[in-house]
Formats: sequence, structure tokens, C-alpha cells
Amino acid sequence: MTEKDIEVMQKLFSPGNVAVIGATASSERVGYNLLDSLIEGGYKGKIYPVHPSLKEILGIPVYPSLRDIPDRVDLALVALNRRDTVEVLERCGELGVKGAVSLAGGFRETGEEGRALEKRIVEIAEKYALKVVGPNTLGIMNLEADLNASFYPVRLKKGNVSLISQSGGIGFSIIQKCQDEGVGLNKFIGAGNRTVLEIADYLEFLAGDAGTRVIGVFLEGVENARRLVQAAGRVARKKPVVIYKVGHSDDVNKATLTHTGSMAGPYKLFRDIFNQYGVLLAGSVAELVAACKALSLCQLPAGGRLGLYTYTAGPAIVALDGLAGREISIPAPAPGTVRKIKAILGEDLPVILKNPIDTGGLGTRSGTYGLLVEAALNDPNFDLLATFSCPHKNWRNPTSELIEAHKKSGKPLLSCYISTIKGVEADREVLQQAGIPLYKSPEETAWGIAALVHYSRGVECLS
Amino acid sequence: MKARKLIENIRKTGRTFLTEFESKEFLALRGIPVVSCQVARDEEETVRIARQCGFPVVLKVNSPHIVHKSERGGVFLNLPGEEAVREAFRNIKRNCAAVDPDADVTVQPMLKKGVEVLIGTIADRQFGPVVAFGLGGVFTEVLKDIVFRMAPVSTAEAEKMVCQIEGNCLLRGYRGNPAVDTLSLQKIITSISQLAVEMEDIEEMDLNPVVVFPRGARVLDARIKISQIQSG
Repeated sequence: MTEKDIEVMQKLFSPGNVAVIGATASSERVGYNLLDSLIEGGYKGKIYPVHPSLKEILGIPVYPSLRDIPDRVDLALVALNRRDTVEVLERCGELGVKGAVSLAGGFRETGEEGRALEKRIVEIAEKYALKVVGPNTLGIMNLEADLNASFYPVRLKKGNVSLISQSGGIGFSIIQKCQDEGVGLNKFIGAGNRTVLEIADYLEFLAGDAGTRVIGVFLEGVENARRLVQAAGRVARKKPVVIYKVGHSDDVNKATLTHTGSMAGPYKLFRDIFNQYGVLLAGSVAELVAACKALSLCQLPAGGRLGLYTYTAGPAIVALDGLAGREISIPAPAPGTVRKIKAILGEDLPVILKNPIDTGGLGTRSGTYGLLVEAALNDPNFDLLATFSCPHKNWRNPTSELIEAHKKSGKPLLSCYISTIKGVEADREVLQQAGIPLYKSPEETAWGIAALVHYSRGVECLS
Repeated sequence: MKARKLIENIRKTGRTFLTEFESKEFLALRGIPVVSCQVARDEEETVRIARQCGFPVVLKVNSPHIVHKSERGGVFLNLPGEEAVREAFRNIKRNCAAVDPDADVTVQPMLKKGVEVLIGTIADRQFGPVVAFGLGGVFTEVLKDIVFRMAPVSTAEAEKMVCQIEGNCLLRGYRGNPAVDTLSLQKIITSISQLAVEMEDIEEMDLNPVVVFPRGARVLDARIKISQIQSG
């Protein structure tokens, strides 16, 4: 992407005004919901609904055509059928509009005619230097600019994670999981058919986007995987990129089979090559979000030496299991740490002071928890620490102790409270505000740890 | 460039597969260590070349029409002397007559036992040239123990490939078997990954097996597939 391209993209995501072409008064239609989303998202710029006969929708005055809008439009949302979409994009080009989102489906995914129409979109985009998101997309969001230009009227938690999704449905699934996990979003891009703007373009744009600290990507299949992996590798050197790609089963993408590939399956090919370029891969929506959460909140550790602190062995063991094959080392605690713990709990202990450090029943007491966590976190053998606890009716959660210890040490700290969402919501808010991700399961904690260690290594782009 | 010319000549015949002889000639031009083979047209020539090679030898069918040689009964290993060579020659002629009555044979020395691996490249639809490495035979075909990289790769990346396979311990020495020369494998991996990038008309290279010893590695069999469309 050239500097000029980036400028256009910035305008597209932070428009001074938005036109909704195909706005309607029927709440079942996409055109209505685009308007509703803009309002729900708290968009502060001008909104110009376009409809040939309606005068007003949701209290906003309607314009009969794109030409009747008194301003130069910054972002055109096109919610028309596929043929009218192509027409309107041409009008956009003529009127000097530089950014558009085309929501309708019915293009290449349906056959020859759709393919031809997409070709027209490419020609129009080139002719007028018009950037088009989609078609066949849920839309885009930029929470920083209070812009929800999708047809899902939701208001989301703001943050520094940006998402690119090839699928609207899974894009939404990732968004919802982020909400459940208290992960704040910055931008959402429904890439759709990627007719004009490719995933690689979005990656390059987000690489330079100040509001984005972590990029999460959902992929189905891409045409130019070579360019994509090279771009992802370049971007991952600047900021963490986490990719979830479907196709673990050979049945999902048999089309990519080649001779040698058929021996191992294309997912292995994909996985090996993305690893080659240092890009972190996730195996599910849950893993993608768990990884983005840690990368969004924590400083990167100085290395891959993990300490685990717990008073209940099982969750720490399951977390260790989840870290198998992730090249994370689990060193024994330093003698100094063991001395400190013994000084707190007494010499003759019925507990295990290895790694995981398991203080058993003695570890649940609120009077000593803070001192113990501090000792573990400050162990010179550990680059990062994960703690595990089980919230209990009569025991106080160690939230304030964790925050205090973390504040003093500065090392990355991840916490796992085995609980339901309801049980930890309040604790999570304060912990995450303090830069300590809170997970509800050891598996997700492991994914967060693995992501931090992966990007602590620095990404070498070798090819 | 000689290698390019070789490909051009084969393309002119309308073929997409290079024979083992041609594939090895091509690889040797790029400094890749192959067990070179010689073409023999009749029984007497076969025996003469076998004597020059020194027994034991390997006889394989040599025909542009036969890609999978062992499936056609066209491969005879470890032939200890002249009699065995004559018999193998006749067997090959008989087994392959239905497919190619004009098929001749190649003669090459039988190497001592080493660890067999596979090194290959494919022109992937999505990633372009990709290089693959795995242990030979059952390890790759059944256990799917194979790793991939986008070509070209550096020696450092090739080293990671060699380390990444599950059966890596077989290369590092096991049960009294010595460790093998993985550096030689890394060199072959980088060379063919470079080749796959430079020569766009190569669709597939299948160096299978490559046998690796405590010192050195040699390509025992190779098959190269080229595209029929003239590349720019």
C-alpha cells in the first residue's frame, strides 16, 4: 500500500460523513440496519440515507440520490442488489467518493454472472481509485471513531484489538467472544469476497494504525496466499498477528490438494508456512480471542520461562498440557524464592515448591496470598507468571493482591479464576484494566501464555 | 544455461515428466549430489556398464512412458553379478513391453544402507513454489511426517525443517546407528528450493529417496514434472 492508499483507508475508517445507499424503513432489511448501527454505535459525523422516495428514516432526512447529497461523501455504504451495486459504485467513482463498502452477496460465490459483475467492480475501483470493502460482507467498524458501519446494530467495548474476518458469521462470533472476555476492539473488517481490497491490504493498513495493538484474522481460503503470508510476516514484526484458519480437515479444502500436499493435507502446508513467517496460528475462535486478549493487555515477556502459581494442582497441570509443543520452558523456582515462601508459610510444609508452585490449602489465605504471588512473580527464573485459583463463597478473590504484585514487578502476569462469567465479571474488569488478563479456564490461560511467548521471541522473516 | 536448455528440449517432445536419467542430469547441473546412472540400450551394453560400475548394481527401466517404475516391474536392486544383471535386463524388457516395447534400462551402483528421506518441491496454487522434506517411505506416506516451507529457504530454515519432522531421532542416530549428515540434506533442500523459484516451469520435483550417510547424501531416484505452457 502506498502512502496515498493508506490515507484513503484512514478516511474510509474515520469518515466525516457516511452515505447509506439503499436505506429503507423496513427493519428487516440491511439498508435499515446500517442506519440503526450508525446510530447505535454513536457515530458523530453526518449521515446521508439515500432512497428515491422516502423523506425520513429513523428521524434522519433522506436524499433521493447520491448526487443530491450536498457534501463530498467520505464513505458510501451500498446495500443494493448486485447489479445496482455495480451501478452505484460507478456513480461513487464519478462523484469522487474514495471509500465504499458493498454489502450485497450474489457475486463470485454464485457463479459466472456474479464473477463478471465482480470484474466490473475491479475495473471501476481502478478507474476511479475507489477502495471497496467486500462485496458480500457484514461491514466495517471503527470503535475509535464511534463508527459501526455494519448491519449489526451493536455497541461494543473499545480497545486495541482489531479484527479482519473473511466470514461475517465467524467475524460476529469473534466479536461476541471478545465481549464475553472483556476484550476491547478497535476496528472490525468484514473482508467478504476481497474483490478490491485483499486481506494483505487490510493487514498493511492495520500495521500502521496507531489504535491497533493486536490483529486477529479469520481466514477461509485465499487466492494469493504467497502475498498474504509475506504481508502477515512483515506486519507481525511490528505488531502481533494471530490467524485462525479453517481447514483442519482435508474435506474442508480438498480443492487445494497437490501431489505432495495430498500426503499431509493442505492445513499442514498452511501451518508450516505461516510458522515459517513467524505468524501465530490459533486453532479456534476461543484460542484466537484468548491469544488476542493476552497480547492486548500484557507487555511481552523477556523470554519463554514460565512460572505457575496455584493452590489447586489440576488447573495448572491442564495449562501445562496445553503448552506442550509450544517451546515454553518451565524452570524450577530459584532457591531464593523457595526460601521466601518458607519464610511466609513455615519451614515444614505439606506443599510442593516446584513449578507449578502449589501451596495447597495454605495458599488460599488472603493474609499471605499477596506475599506468595509477589515471591513467585519476582523469581529471576521466570519471565512471566500464571496464577490459578477457584473463587469460593467464603474466600476472598486475590484480585487486589495480583494487581499489587504486578504493579511492583512489571513482569507479565496472567490469572485464571475457574468460574462462570457472572462470577468474575467485576474482578475481571479491574484486573484487565490493570493489564492482567483474566481467564476462566486453564486451556484459555495456556493460549494466552503461548501467544505472549511466541511474540516475545521476535519474528524473523527468513525468506 | 544448460539446465534450462535441458527442460526446453524435453518440452519440445511434448512430455511433462523427465525420466530418472534426465532428472538426475538436471539436478547434477546444479551441483546436487546424485547417484548417476547410465543408459544401456541392450543386454551386452548393460553388462559392460555394470562391470564398469562395480557390483552390486541396480537396473531400472528407462522410458519416457513409464513414470512409476517399480509398479511396472521395472526396478531390480542389489544385483551381485553378470548373470543376475542379464536376468534382470530380460525381466525388465518383458515386464515393460506392453507399455513401451522400446524401453531400455539404466545402470547404477547399489549404495550401502543409509537413512532414506524425501525432498521435493511443488508449485502450489496458493503459495507458489513450496519445498517439502520428510523421512522416506512409510513415514511420509502413512504417518504423514512431512514438513513444508515456502521457497526459497535459507540453510537456517532448512535446518529447522530437518529438526521439525517427528522422526528426527532417526537422523540423530538411534540403537547404535550413527547420526547422519543433516548438513548435506540442508544443502539439497536449499538448492532445490532455489531451483523451484528460478524455474517457473517446474511443477514438481520429487527426490525420493535421497539416502543420507554419516558423511554425505545422494539422490537415489528423482522425478521432475514440468508444465507444458511456455513460461514468459
